[in-house]
Amino acid sequence: MKLAVFLSDWDRTEATLERLKADKMGVILVGNGIYHAVLKAGGKDSPVLSTAGASFYALADDLETRGFTAANVNSKVKVVSYGDIVDLIMKDYEKTAWL
Amino acid sequence: MAAVNLLFVVQRPPYKSENARLALTHAIASQTAEIYMDDGDSVVPIVAFVGDGVLNAVKGQKAMERYGVTSTEMHIKSSLMIDMPIWVCKEDMERLGLKEDQMITHAEELGADLKTKFVSFAEIQKEMEGTNHLLFF
Repeated sequence: MKLAVFLSDWDRTEATLERLKADKMGVILVGNGIYHAVLKAGGKDSPVLSTAGASFYALADDLETRGFTAANVNSKVKVVSYGDIVDLIMKDYEKTAWL
Repeated sequence: MAAVNLLFVVQRPPYKSENARLALTHAIASQTAEIYMDDGDSVVPIVAFVGDGVLNAVKGQKAMERYGVTSTEMHIKSSLMIDMPIWVCKEDMERLGLKEDQMITHAEELGADLKTKFVSFAEIQKEMEGTNHLLFF
């Protein structure tokens, strides 16, 4: 299964994320989920970014709405537009999940 | 002449819920309650951001440009413009790796003299103990 997982909260949701298995997984950070891409709580990367084998994306509009830019984003994360997300859904992943 | 102190404590991040916006708009509007009070009495609100709520005070928010909604930043600056104190918890900024230069520190462009105050949680706790009304958002 090729699975795109949307995270829209800063609240910890890794318990579910960690249990999901996929041959290919993309974690798409939107809304308050973008904080996983820019904050280092306690000096550490968000545990979300430790999801094994996953690719990480953050929506530019939601970064900028909250006062951040691509310059603030963790190097593991690719900043994407709405159009890019449509392409990811249509071309790269078979299923989507919204945690 | 008496002052009624209100402390609005915002503990949730912006945008996903309306909590922060409601805290700010209630705090701004609270001063209108003076029409129901005795002459000379006043309402003195403070908004304090704690926990993940400090994320509300990150500067450079482009909510209007991206989604056509007034940013939380603009509400905070409007608060400073009417001399309503804005406090941000220093320990929570540090926990989230936020530096003061990433935060809304003033609203000089709107003519505000008041600046954001970066305070310890102990100072917020002290204010909680002394305030007449405590409102959590």
